[in-house]
Amino acid sequence: MASCPSSDPPSPPPASDGIPGNHNLQPFFVLHKASHPSSAPRKTYERSPASKKTKRRIDLSGSPTKFSKNVDDSLPTDPSDPVFDQLRFDAFNRTWSNIDTTIKDVLRKINLNLFDDVRCWVQQSFSTIRATSPVPSIAITCPYPLSTDALCKQIPTAFICTKNAEFVDDLLTFQELGEHLKCSGCHVANLSSLDFSAKHGIGACISSLLRTLVPDAADVADISVLASWYSEFSRHDNPVVVIIDDMERSNGDALAEFILMMSEWAIKIPVIFIMGVATTVDAPKRLIPSGALRCLLPCKFTLGTPCERMNALIEAVLVKPCSRFTISHKVAIFLRSYFLKHDGTVTSFIRALKLACIKHFSMEHLSFLGYGVLQDDCEAAWLHKHEVLPDVCRYTSILPLHKREKGFKRAGDAFVNGLNELRRLHKNWGSIVMCLFETGKFNKMQLFDIFCEALDPSSYTLNCPDDTSSTDIFPGGVFSPAKGGSISQAIYKVRELPMALLINLLDMWSIYTEGTPEIHEKVRELQLIMRSVDGGKILKEKCADVDKSEFLHARKSILSINEKASTLLETIVRNLLVPFECIPFHEIICFKHVHILQTALIGDPRRTIQVDLLKSRAHLQCSCCGSHGSVISSSMHDTSIMYKLAQEYGDLINLHDWYQSFKATILGSRSKTKRKGQSPASKKMKTAPIEGDAMIQARFCRAVIELQITGLLRMPSKRRPDFVQRVAFGL
Amino acid sequence: MDPKDGGGEEEEEEEFGFSRNYFLAREIGGGSGKKSGRKLSDIDLADEQVLRAEASRIKEKHEKEIALLLKSYKDLYPKWLFELRCGFGLLMYGFGSKKVLLEDFASSSLTDYGALVINGYLPSINLKLVIIAICEMLQDQLKTSRKGSVRKKAKTQQPLSSQSMEDLLMFLNEQPSDDNDSFVCLIIHNIDGPALRDFETQQYLARLASCSPVRVIASIDHVNAPLLWDKKMVHTQFNWCWYHVPTFAPYKAEGVFFPLILAGSSAAQSTKTALVVLQSLTPNAQSVFKVLAEHQLANVKEEGMPINTLYTKCREKFLVSSQVTLNSHLTEFKDHELVKVRKHSDGQDCLYIPLTTESLERLLQELV
Repeated sequence: MASCPSSDPPSPPPASDGIPGNHNLQPFFVLHKASHPSSAPRKTYERSPASKKTKRRIDLSGSPTKFSKNVDDSLPTDPSDPVFDQLRFDAFNRTWSNIDTTIKDVLRKINLNLFDDVRCWVQQSFSTIRATSPVPSIAITCPYPLSTDALCKQIPTAFICTKNAEFVDDLLTFQELGEHLKCSGCHVANLSSLDFSAKHGIGACISSLLRTLVPDAADVADISVLASWYSEFSRHDNPVVVIIDDMERSNGDALAEFILMMSEWAIKIPVIFIMGVATTVDAPKRLIPSGALRCLLPCKFTLGTPCERMNALIEAVLVKPCSRFTISHKVAIFLRSYFLKHDGTVTSFIRALKLACIKHFSMEHLSFLGYGVLQDDCEAAWLHKHEVLPDVCRYTSILPLHKREKGFKRAGDAFVNGLNELRRLHKNWGSIVMCLFETGKFNKMQLFDIFCEALDPSSYTLNCPDDTSSTDIFPGGVFSPAKGGSISQAIYKVRELPMALLINLLDMWSIYTEGTPEIHEKVRELQLIMRSVDGGKILKEKCADVDKSEFLHARKSILSINEKASTLLETIVRNLLVPFECIPFHEIICFKHVHILQTALIGDPRRTIQVDLLKSRAHLQCSCCGSHGSVISSSMHDTSIMYKLAQEYGDLINLHDWYQSFKATILGSRSKTKRKGQSPASKKMKTAPIEGDAMIQARFCRAVIELQITGLLRMPSKRRPDFVQRVAFGL
Repeated sequence: MDPKDGGGEEEEEEEFGFSRNYFLAREIGGGSGKKSGRKLSDIDLADEQVLRAEASRIKEKHEKEIALLLKSYKDLYPKWLFELRCGFGLLMYGFGSKKVLLEDFASSSLTDYGALVINGYLPSINLKLVIIAICEMLQDQLKTSRKGSVRKKAKTQQPLSSQSMEDLLMFLNEQPSDDNDSFVCLIIHNIDGPALRDFETQQYLARLASCSPVRVIASIDHVNAPLLWDKKMVHTQFNWCWYHVPTFAPYKAEGVFFPLILAGSSAAQSTKTALVVLQSLTPNAQSVFKVLAEHQLANVKEEGMPINTLYTKCREKFLVSSQVTLNSHLTEFKDHELVKVRKHSDGQDCLYIPLTTESLERLLQELV
């Protein structure tokens, strides 16, 4: 672990040659080399010098019987101790690698059908090429150019519509597609738009292609190297697939040249293109000149929308209890708005989630205890953790909702019991949310909306919040969904569903609730009733002459089944949907600091730097500048004064006027102090006014430079040498 | 866009405020621009050298408060380290120089990792040299831990300095990622600085940041700095975690290369600025510049040196092999205003260095 920061203010590190600041003019320099060889740098933990003897390992992952011997008596009692940083870091690594694997699996599964379609198409195209071209061995040994007809020169090209203007989401998709095709034997090269630039021309893309396919080749852009590589061994049994993920960002001419060259070599190197198209299908027409376009034999595929991916991700990562990490209602609302308003990319959402996870593990002292909370069979591990770290676990008692956990003889029991309950309630919660989503699908609802609503702690009211004498682990409460919200709509929708859909829906409910017996049983009951009614209905349809009263009766029973299903959903929502933040110990695995996440994710320098200048006192906390933000005082930071003065101008600032106002502000207070002090020194000052002026001019210049560095000013142009231009207007 | 909870109205209000302010400013600007025609020359301006001397003697305000502010950020160091170890990059913004803060963080909390500093505020930086230095640091770091694997690599590879950027980046990417806690920290002061501002450099920096054994800690000062990056760079390569850390510390090092607005001739380049630019160029480029400078000093009365003459002289000295190489050097010189072109009296283009004879002599002495 790095040394703990001392209390001294930061000072510039001493330069190695002993001349401080000498490094300032070097383009780059080595500040220091790694002090320890990093073979196993942070497995042991150094504490403050006083307790340096306690260099040891803390192992929370093995079997319970092993630990008690391992543990030192002098373990720190405060979970904020840096010793636990490593534990938190390890816990984060395990948690995130788990989430990451889940995310990758989900995204791969979503695209799997498309990948298979593309693979089949590649194989078909390759067999067509082989059918029309000469025997491979002849083609390969034949000198270039080969006399072939135009048809042979056409390159099969798959345009994959990503339905997403932001290509960043699809980078991973195309990489995975590449891997998928590699598995079936194709020689795959993933290129990006950067390889097709006007500056580097065709050389860059051929180099990249060679670098990927023929890693041992010298760094020369020679396509014949690829041809001879392809002819070796039995490589010619499979095609060369070139994937360009964001074709529209490429340079059209470079791409066209590449296409033409590959088509010339098509017989020797049977190449197949796969290109990502973000906007419309006619994008290639606009980008590539017709000569090159004629060399392509197009085929269109379409990827799923970001919303579909999002639903699948929310289900796998946040609803199913797999990850040992979850988010609070406010964080969920923020993430939803970040996804919808910011850029609508799944990538940015995943990044935000990872940052939330990091922030949770770095801020929540007890977060390292969270590993395994939502797994079955974790009781023994929990009791063990409590034994290993009794003092730390004592800190759990200060968690706000923990005070309900009274009445247990051993603190460890309450701890384990509480966590068991957390796991059980979370499982129920996940099942109910999925049932609601299945229902909501009929109304085209998104899982994220239902997820956010189901997390809202304000919809949940405890039955007897003041009764702390109760030994019940969970006091019980009622979830009242917001009127007009997604959950209410879903419950209402059940009443309207036709019989066939209702049967399917109940089947889905039954699958989702398998892990929660109390709900599952009720769903099964309803399914049984339904079957009997449904059976009767079929019987009735068979008989032509049905009794009218019987028909009405059947209709009534169908209606009552809709009613029953709706009531069942409402009941389980009311009684069993417990938002995470209402469960004791949720702090261990739930991230709640929405503001921290927001500021870490979205820097807003344009606004913030201006606020820094306009309200410098808020940061500096000085006593000299006066508490009124709007009043300019001479003791303020020079650049702050200048920027405040600049607010009074239009888009152009007259340098002469600006300087005079600055000078007046600076001297304003000095004359006051002179009047107050009347010391002989101040008289002396008067005798050197020119020097004072030079200093004010120097300060003015420096403030202008600082404003220029922040980009808030534009320098005088030749046309207007006496004016600078303001850049920002308002925050 | 600022996605806040239910902040739609607020945002609209803000946007409205922005446009209103803009038009208001235009109006005032138009009016006052006509009224206030006062000129800078009306002020009794001090000489540039006096101004520079005074600027170095400016007494800083709020020194105590700034020290306290910097001290308060020390509490964040463990968090910053945690985020770096988790694979995120740190981006510091807010008013004031963050040079001391960043280097203090690196010196006190990143001692277990190698740290390299780029001064992005300088006018010119050779990124390839930086990447070579990172590769060397990493090689050293890994040599001590896993001798076997590195030795194997070293045999098959040519020296780092003769490899292309692509190869160097590939080398960094290929480093074993099983131990994700072994990395080199790259501290970039002013990643939005003049030398790093172009798209190509930012692309390289982004690719560098995405290499598993590299972590970037950078600072920005320009309000529009985020416009330098596209979504791919932000989300998948730099992976920024933003921190608002205003320091109010003076931009001493960062402001060196800016002209003083009251010093009049801002075009006059000082020897110091030219020297820094030249030092960041390759030895060959420096020699080409020397040829031109020596010619200019020997023929003070001439208008400049014709390009062909320069080419012949450089070829004789084996400094350039073709006109293309010479042109690339000249483009670099012209970009940094080290060399300018004007028409010779006989009609052909000729090159000259926009410096006085004295400063050119001093420059040549210091360049050796």
